[in-house]
Amino acid sequence: MTPPDAPLLEVASISISFGGLRAVREFSLALGRGSLSGLIGPNGAGKTTVFNLLTGVYQPDAGTIRLAGRSLPGLRPHEIAHAGLARTFQNIRLFPDLSVLDNVRIACHLRARHTLAGALLRSPLHLLEERGMLRRARELLGIFGLDDRRDEYARNLPYGDQRRLEIARAMATEPKVILLDEPAAGMNPQETRELAGLVRRIRTDFSLTVLLIEHDMGFVMDLCESITVLDYGQVIAHGPPAAIQRDPKVIEAYLGAPAAVEGGVPA
Amino acid sequence: MNAALQTFFETLINGLAVGSLYALVALGYTMVYGILKFINFAHSDIVVLGAWIAFVLARSLGYATPDAAAPWYAGLLILLVAMTACGAIGYAVERLAYKPLRGAPRLNVLITAIGVSLFLQNTGQLSFLFGASPQRMPSLLPDTPLLTVFGARVSLVDVVGAGTAVLLMVGLEYLIFHTKLGRAMRAVSYNTSVASLMGVNVNAVISFTFVVGSALAAAAGFLYSMKYVGIKQPADAGWVMLGLKAFVAAVVGGIGNIRGAMIGGVMIGLLEFFGAAYVSTQYRDVYVFALLILVLLFRPAGLFGRATVEKV
Amino acid sequence: MTRVAPQLDDGPAAWRFVPRNLAPLGAALGLALLMHFVFQPAAGSFASKLALDIAVNIILAVSLTMVNGFTGQFSMGTAGFMAVGGYAAAAVTYYGSFRLYGSPNPPAGILSAFGDPTGLPLPWLQSGDLMFVAACLFGGLVAAGAGYIVGLPSLRLRGDYLAIVTLGFGEIVRVVLQTSERRLSNAEQIAGTPWPKLLTHLGGSLGFTSIPYFTTLFWVWLAAVLTLVVAYRMKRSSYGRAFLSIREDEVAAEAMGVCTTKFKVRAFVISSFFAGVAGALIAHQVQSINAGELGFQRSFDVIIMVVLGGMGSISGAVLAAGVLTVLPELLRFMADYRMVVYALALIVMMIVRPQGLFGVREVWEVGPFRRRAAGSGAPGGGAT
Repeated sequence: MTPPDAPLLEVASISISFGGLRAVREFSLALGRGSLSGLIGPNGAGKTTVFNLLTGVYQPDAGTIRLAGRSLPGLRPHEIAHAGLARTFQNIRLFPDLSVLDNVRIACHLRARHTLAGALLRSPLHLLEERGMLRRARELLGIFGLDDRRDEYARNLPYGDQRRLEIARAMATEPKVILLDEPAAGMNPQETRELAGLVRRIRTDFSLTVLLIEHDMGFVMDLCESITVLDYGQVIAHGPPAAIQRDPKVIEAYLGAPAAVEGGVPA
Repeated sequence: MNAALQTFFETLINGLAVGSLYALVALGYTMVYGILKFINFAHSDIVVLGAWIAFVLARSLGYATPDAAAPWYAGLLILLVAMTACGAIGYAVERLAYKPLRGAPRLNVLITAIGVSLFLQNTGQLSFLFGASPQRMPSLLPDTPLLTVFGARVSLVDVVGAGTAVLLMVGLEYLIFHTKLGRAMRAVSYNTSVASLMGVNVNAVISFTFVVGSALAAAAGFLYSMKYVGIKQPADAGWVMLGLKAFVAAVVGGIGNIRGAMIGGVMIGLLEFFGAAYVSTQYRDVYVFALLILVLLFRPAGLFGRATVEKV
Repeated sequence: MTRVAPQLDDGPAAWRFVPRNLAPLGAALGLALLMHFVFQPAAGSFASKLALDIAVNIILAVSLTMVNGFTGQFSMGTAGFMAVGGYAAAAVTYYGSFRLYGSPNPPAGILSAFGDPTGLPLPWLQSGDLMFVAACLFGGLVAAGAGYIVGLPSLRLRGDYLAIVTLGFGEIVRVVLQTSERRLSNAEQIAGTPWPKLLTHLGGSLGFTSIPYFTTLFWVWLAAVLTLVVAYRMKRSSYGRAFLSIREDEVAAEAMGVCTTKFKVRAFVISSFFAGVAGALIAHQVQSINAGELGFQRSFDVIIMVVLGGMGSISGAVLAAGVLTVLPELLRFMADYRMVVYALALIVMMIVRPQGLFGVREVWEVGPFRRRAAGSGAPGGGAT
C-alpha cells in the first residue's frame, strides 16, 4: 500500500532507444496527487516520447513507472487507460467521422460493466449504463462548451474545439492522471486563456493530476506549479516556473548558446 | 536412386520455370504497391490479356495450325507486341480508372481495381474480341528436350521461358537501380510528396510503372501459355492461381521490394512443386497460402521488406 | 442524427426486457411469414428467387459491415466463411437425415416447402425443420470458430496485410474442402461411420450434393431480419461505438481504453457467424455447395455491396445488397455486355461518389445531417 503522501505517478529513470538513437535517457518524474506540472523542451527533445512511454504506446528499455503503486510497463495502452492514466495527442486524434457526443461516449465504455450479449438483448443494466454514459458525456461536453455541437462530426469542429474535445474525451475515461500534449497549440490568446481556466477547473473539480506538454511558455509558466525541462531526451532542469525561467541550462537549451536573456526563456 | 534423382531434378526445373514466371507477375504487383500502396487486383487480368493477345497474333500469323512451323523470331515478335499492347492497356487503366482516385481512401482504389478486373475479364469475353471459349496456344517452339539431367528433361520451352523472364528481370533491375528514371521511381516509392517537391513528375512515374508492370505481366502470360498450352478465360482456376500466387510471392518477398518479388516468385514456384512432388499434390495451393500466412505473422513486412512504425 | 433516443421512462423497468426482445423477433417472424405466404405465391418463382437472393446478400453484406464497416478491418474471407458454414450445415442435415430418418429426405413442414406453400396440406413445422435450424446455427458456430482463428492475426496485422491473410484463409478453406473425402450415400455405411469421420466426407472436388431442401423465403427473411436487429443494436450501443472507434483511429481507441485486439476478434467472430449461416441457407436452397465456386471473387461481390452502401452504414449495405442483386437481372437484356456495364458502373461510382451511397451514415440520417465535405479533404475519410 502506498502512503497517502506518496506521489501518484512515479517515474524512475526510464529510457528508450530507437535504432541507435537514445530518444529518452534516464527520465524521472514524480507527480503528487492533484499537482499540475509541465513538461517542456525544444522540438525533438523527447517530450511526446515520454507520454508514449507512460501510456504504453512504447515500452521503456529500462526504468519503472508506477501509478498509485501499480507498475505500468508491460501493460497495453488500453490497460493503462483502465488503470487511470488518460492522454490527448499532439496531432489531434479524434474519431473524425463520429459525432462529438460519440467521441466522448466511446471513452466512457471502459467503465461499463454490461456484456456484449447484454447490449444486444438491451438488458436493464445496459440501458442504465448507456444512460449514465450519455449523462456523463454531456456533462463533460458542457464543461468544455461543446454540448451545443454534440451532434456534429468531430472532423467539422474548429481547431480549438477539437483540442478541447480531446481533453473532454480523455476526461471521460475517469482518469486519476491526465497527460495533455500541447493542448494550446493552434489556439489564439483568448482561447489559450480560457483553456488555462478550464484546466484549473477540471483539476479542482475532478481532483485530477495534470501533466502537460506545451510550447506556449506564457501558458505553462502561468499554469504549472512545477516544470520539468527535457533536452536531447534528458531532464536538464526541474523546479517551479520562476526557477526554471532563470536556469542557465534551460536558456542554453532553447537558444543554443550560453546567454543571459532578461526575462528568461522566450515564449 | 536414379528415379529419385530424376524426380528431384524434374521438380527443380519445373519449380524454377514456373517460379520465374511468378516473379515476373509479382514485379507488377510490387511496383504498383510500392508507389500507390494498393493491391492492383486487375494485374492478373493483364497477364491473361497478354496471353490472349499473343494467341490472336499467333493465329493471325498462321501458326495456329498443328503442323505450321514457326520461325525462331516469331515468338520474339509476338512477345514484343503483346508486351507493347499490354503496356498501353496498363497505361490506359491507370489514367482512366486509378488516377482520378489519387488520395482517395485505399479501399476505394481497391474496389476500383476489382471493377477494372471485372471489366477486363468480361470485355475480353465479348465475341468480337477473344470470345468465351478456351483456345489452344500453338506451340511456337519445337518440343525437343534440350538436355537431360539424371533423366529429367530440360525442355526448350522451360529454358526459353525462364531465360526470357530472367532477361526481363535483369533489364528491370538495371532500369530501376541504374537509370535516372529508375531513381525517380524509387524516390516516388519512398516518399511521393517529397519526390514531387524535388521536381519528380510523379504522375509520369506512376504511368510508367504501370506500363512496365503490365508489359512484364504480358510476357509472363505469353510464356505461361507456352508452357501450359491452352488459354482459358480469366475465371479459369489455373490463371486465377497464377495471379494469386504471384501476388503471394510479392508479399512474401516484402511488397514494394523489387528484388524481394523476384526471389519470392522463385521461392513460391519451388515450394509449390516440391510440396506437390514430395508431400501431396492435392495441397499444392495450400503450401503457398500457408507460407503467406506464416510470413505475415512472423515477418509482417515480408522476408525482405522493411518494417514501418506508425508515428503517434 | 446521432440522437440517443432519450428514454421516456425514467428508470429502465426490468419487465420491459421481455417485450424489448420479443418485438423484433415478432417483426422478423411477421415479415418472414408474409414473404412466404403472400409474396411468394403472388410474385412467382423468378421474383421469389430474387427475393431469396436479396435476403441472403443482406445477411452477407451486413455481416461484412460488422468487420469492414464497423472496425475498419479489411476482410476478404467472406466466401471462406460461407463455405465453412455451408459445408458444416450440409453435413449435419445430410448425414443427420440418414441417421435420424434413415433416408436422405427428412420430414419438413410448409415453412420449408418449395413452391406454393398454401396449397400443401402439411404441418407448419416438423422435426426435420428443427434439425435444419440447428444445422444452420451449427454452421454459423463453426464459421465463427474459423473467424476466431482468422481474427487472431488481426492482432498483429493491419490494412492490406490482414486483407491478404483473410484471402489466403479463404483459398486454404477452398482447397481443403475440395480435397475432402467423397460423400457417402449408402445408408448402412453412414450408420456405421462415427460423426467425426462423417464430417470429413464432404464430397471433394465435386462439391457436396444432394443436400436436403429447406431454405425458403421464410427462413432467409427470418435470418435476414434477425441479422439486421443484431447489427443495428450492436452499432447503437457502447460496444458498437467501441467497434467504430477502431475504424476511426486505432491508436486513439486504444488510448481511450478500448481493447482493440479483443474487439477486432469479436467483430470477426460475429461477422463469420452470420456469413456461415448465410452459407448454410444457400446450401439448403441450391441443394449443393461447391467450395470451388466460393473463391475470393464471391467475397468481392460482398465487399462491393459494403463499400457501395457506405462503410459502416447498415441500411446502406441492405440497399446495396438489394440493388446489386437486382441490377444484373435488369441488365440481362444487354447479354454479354451486362458485366461490362456493371464493372464500368462500379468504377464510375468509386470516382464520382467514393463514400458510397450513404457514406458512413444510415439512410435516414443523410438528409438533415449531410456531411459537409468542404474543408474536410478527402470525403469518406482519409487513411487514418
